[in-house]
Amino acid sequence: MVSPFKVFPFLVYSFLVGSLITGCVSYRVIKVVEGRSVSNIFEEFRVGATTLKEALETLGAPDQVAELEGKDVLIYRRSLLSNSGLSFGIPLTDIWGPGFDFSAYGELVRYDLLLLSFTPEGILSEIASAKGSRYPYFKTILSD
Amino acid sequence: MNRFREPLFVLLLVFFLQSCAGWAKNKDYHPFDASGLDKLIPGKSTATQVTEMLGAPSEIVKLSNGNAYIYRRSLSKGTGLWLLIVSFGNYDKHYDQIVIFFDKKNTMTHYGVTLDAHKAAYGLPF
Repeated sequence: MVSPFKVFPFLVYSFLVGSLITGCVSYRVIKVVEGRSVSNIFEEFRVGATTLKEALETLGAPDQVAELEGKDVLIYRRSLLSNSGLSFGIPLTDIWGPGFDFSAYGELVRYDLLLLSFTPEGILSEIASAKGSRYPYFKTILSD
Repeated sequence: MNRFREPLFVLLLVFFLQSCAGWAKNKDYHPFDASGLDKLIPGKSTATQVTEMLGAPSEIVKLSNGNAYIYRRSLSKGTGLWLLIVSFGNYDKHYDQIVIFFDKKNTMTHYGVTLDAHKAAYGLPF
């Protein structure tokens, strides 16, 4: 009998390599971005001087509006979700019984936030911001 | 060098035979038209005129000196790519938003517009 390795070598190798590799190791990377980038307005805006009208003209519509202790708060937000996973296993279930499997997954959501608080007269009274996206994925997710 | 040609070819073949890709698009649609916003005059236009032009808002928020009407819709685009042992996914979501501020007499005082939904894009996560 002629060996199938000699007749269809590429197909046989493809099948073997594909079956082995896909059954053993996989790695995935997922990114989800929601919203636009948040501007750095600390040089442009002044507490006690900048008006609500100027803020809306510069930054556009906020993602969230709320009243907080008699002041009107505008929130601009962008979220960045990063997910990665590594899976390694040897599928021996059919021939041996128990298989070997190792997997590690991580998911990190970072936020860029800008909060502007205005008096009822529409004058900027407070600015707060956070730039979560500047923190690197692996260093942040591996830290405590 | 020739002895590596066959295994390399096999690996490439496997790579392409077992790969696939996918695209997805989601819309959270509200049919407001932002092109007529310049007809609204702060200090004069009323909440009734705004709702006649833009329809019912997605959300109404009570503020210290009146209310804010929020109009919002979104567009998301997703991309997936599976290459044998490595897979990539990317999901990009952007919004069209209009926030209109009214005083206690329901007269418009300010508005802010962001039309970014068209910026949602297909792509890879790097």
